[in-house]
Amino acid sequence: MLYWIYIFILVYLTVIVMIEFLSAEGWIKKITYAMLLLPFILRILQIK
Amino acid sequence: MKRQIITNIVVLAVTFIIGTIASIDFLKMRQPDELYPSISLTKTGVLSDYFQGIKGTSGDTRIYYFDSGKPGASVLLLGGTHPNEPAGFITAALMVENIRVISGRVLIIPQACQSGFTCTDPFEGYPQFFTIETQSGKRKFRFGSRVSNPLDQWPDPLVYFQYPSGQKLSGFETRNLNRNYPGRPDGTFTEKVAFAIMNLIKKEDIDLAFDLHEAAPEIPIINAIVYHEKGEEIALTAVLNLESEGLRYSPELSPKNFHGLSHREWGDRTQVVPFLMETSNPIQGRLRGRTNAKLILKGVSKEYKQAQESGAFRIVYESSGEPLKRRVGRHLQGFLAIIDAYNELHEDKQVKVDNLPGYSDLMKNDVGHYLR
Amino acid sequence: MDFELVILIVMLGVFALSVFTFKIPAGMALMLASVAGALAGGEGIPVRHLVEGGFGFLEAILIIATAMIFMKVMEATGALGTISYAMIKSLYRFPTILIIVITIFVMFPGMLTGLSSACILTTGALVIPGLLAMGMPRLAAGSLIAMAAVFGEVAPPISIPVMIIGGGVDMPYIGFAKPLFLASFPIAVLTAVFYRFKYLGKFKIEEVLPKLQAPVYRKHGIKLFIPLIFVIAYLILEQNAVPYLPHLGVPLVFIIGAVMGLGSGEKFNFIHISRNAVRNAMPVMAILVGVGMFLQILTLTGVRGYLAVNALALPVGFKYVAALIMPFFGSAYGSASVIGVPLVYVFIGKNVIVLTSALALLASLGDLMPPPSLLFAYSAQMIDEKNHFNILKKSLLPIAASVLTALAIIVFANDLGRLLF
Repeated sequence: MLYWIYIFILVYLTVIVMIEFLSAEGWIKKITYAMLLLPFILRILQIK
Repeated sequence: MKRQIITNIVVLAVTFIIGTIASIDFLKMRQPDELYPSISLTKTGVLSDYFQGIKGTSGDTRIYYFDSGKPGASVLLLGGTHPNEPAGFITAALMVENIRVISGRVLIIPQACQSGFTCTDPFEGYPQFFTIETQSGKRKFRFGSRVSNPLDQWPDPLVYFQYPSGQKLSGFETRNLNRNYPGRPDGTFTEKVAFAIMNLIKKEDIDLAFDLHEAAPEIPIINAIVYHEKGEEIALTAVLNLESEGLRYSPELSPKNFHGLSHREWGDRTQVVPFLMETSNPIQGRLRGRTNAKLILKGVSKEYKQAQESGAFRIVYESSGEPLKRRVGRHLQGFLAIIDAYNELHEDKQVKVDNLPGYSDLMKNDVGHYLR
Repeated sequence: MDFELVILIVMLGVFALSVFTFKIPAGMALMLASVAGALAGGEGIPVRHLVEGGFGFLEAILIIATAMIFMKVMEATGALGTISYAMIKSLYRFPTILIIVITIFVMFPGMLTGLSSACILTTGALVIPGLLAMGMPRLAAGSLIAMAAVFGEVAPPISIPVMIIGGGVDMPYIGFAKPLFLASFPIAVLTAVFYRFKYLGKFKIEEVLPKLQAPVYRKHGIKLFIPLIFVIAYLILEQNAVPYLPHLGVPLVFIIGAVMGLGSGEKFNFIHISRNAVRNAMPVMAILVGVGMFLQILTLTGVRGYLAVNALALPVGFKYVAALIMPFFGSAYGSASVIGVPLVYVFIGKNVIVLTSALALLASLGDLMPPPSLLFAYSAQMIDEKNHFNILKKSLLPIAASVLTALAIIVFANDLGRLLF
């Protein structure tokens, strides 16, 4: 149960990070957001 | 605006490619390791036979039963409690593929922490696999994490309160099988696995149990046989006999106030007499250099040699290296010596095994010679 | 020259070049340095290792993200401003006590979570406006809260660096309260007093109070503080394993606290606050992903072992020099696991509990040091300072004092052990 609550928190944060990614200016900022998205998404997808 | 969209697409596409490449590697570790049991195998089972709560999870793991059909003692052997300690797993695998039981019976769980075999730990730079050359060709084995996969148990607390002792440990240890005994049926994933193993020991009326480990060369308890006070006589007899064969093992009494460990909880809570063995494994050590599969197999580390020569502190490391064959050989020889010592002291209830190589055989022929 | 040293120079070189010449953010620079290190070490581009390293601090990242959302919520409800106002208003007559109280207040979340970032992001952010309004120079204020965050991470009841070292040497987390208190509180109070006399002149309370956020206690009453009380109480209870209390974990406690904030004070938009929080925490979260990759490549290529062995191979008299390396790992947790564990063996014969507590202080200073300079990067944001190294410069004296404290504790570990137990 707790596990899935944390996955839900990750989903929420991923959505927020994604919005920030899309509205960020410049490719360097976007890469920094993408660095964070990768572990979030792989955990949500139950890969790592 | 158009540029913004292009940047978005390019960065996301690159992220997707990187994620896909990494995911393919991560998922490769879900493939189980294949073992080819010896002809004296009587049956195979799974750990969930002893506790349904882990059925269908990656905590469920295979059990190999070798029953002589003749009366005698029951022995349980666990490898892979810590999947980053390959000598434990490989020793158990080698036994599964070779052992013959003459009296009593032997139960083997080669991968006690099955979940830990499905991932590696961040920061450690560990290889995911290592390959052993056998008579039938190359065989690939998994090298995993010290603890259960976070996909099975997450998040870790900041402080792990061991059940039922209440002892405080770092949060990471909450996924360490060898800190979770006796476990509980409604506990965490790892507590459930520990609970299932406790149930097995009780239900199968195990007399003698082994938990095979390895440790970093700088850890004080190394090349050791850790014993519960119930098994003192057996341990000391075995150590003496091994010494006369030219092999040194340090006997270590299980600390009474350090909870959650197999050699403490199995012994305190069941009829079994438990033993835990440690060998010196450079790839676990914090002083190791380049980290790869070669270090698992050859165990050669110039860093450990240098540290040992500096005399900064006690390090158990042979200057020629700590190859897998030596570590597996020590585990096998230790196992045989303890069985012999047990038989000496229990003439009415003996367990006799055959067709297992000893230390000198391993050193001469290497591990692959004994794997099918 | 040793090959590992070449790899290390390549990694540090790429990092420095990226940050200083190309003005690339530290998180991304660490990733580039990791790729360069792997290439130099003959590992190609080990995608799996890089991504795996990025996972190392996932829990810390979650704590930071959620703590940031919670604190932004507390700011928006007016709770933070109200506390800051009350603290200064009631203690302004006794500035020395005020600064000590502020310092311990900043340490508080770290004492509970074992995480220095939790201090900076919560209580640190809370006291900054007060310190600035009292006339403390910007850099000094940023420095004080970063130092307090370090001491909070060391202070009992929860010290994660000690637990990390304990995990490495199979030592249970028992009996650390007194030595950890010794390794954190005296130096914290000393630092507070130093900042009080060096940086805090006379101030007129009637000039300070209007500069602070107006208190909203009268408007909302006690419910303004319910989320804060809940978060603090739950974290304390959870760390002390109160029976029947479900384990929620720090991030979830922060999220619940943030949601409770919706009805506790001034109104705000939750999504908007979350975006703001994530944007603020982004540099540090990216640094943690980058540091994870960096540590993974250091281990993979053998540089980690090379560093540890060469530190340990020092002659007996230089053992303390080896201990001095700890802060320079740039991360408390990294330092504790990489060098803290072997150092326990280097100092074998000393009282191990006292020794480990001192090592925890040295390791925690790592959160201040480059490359990431995590805590200064944060406090820089709060005081609007572009170059966080200026705060580092300002903090050299308290850092040196902390190092000396730790070394003194190590030297007298056995005597202190007898005294404490």
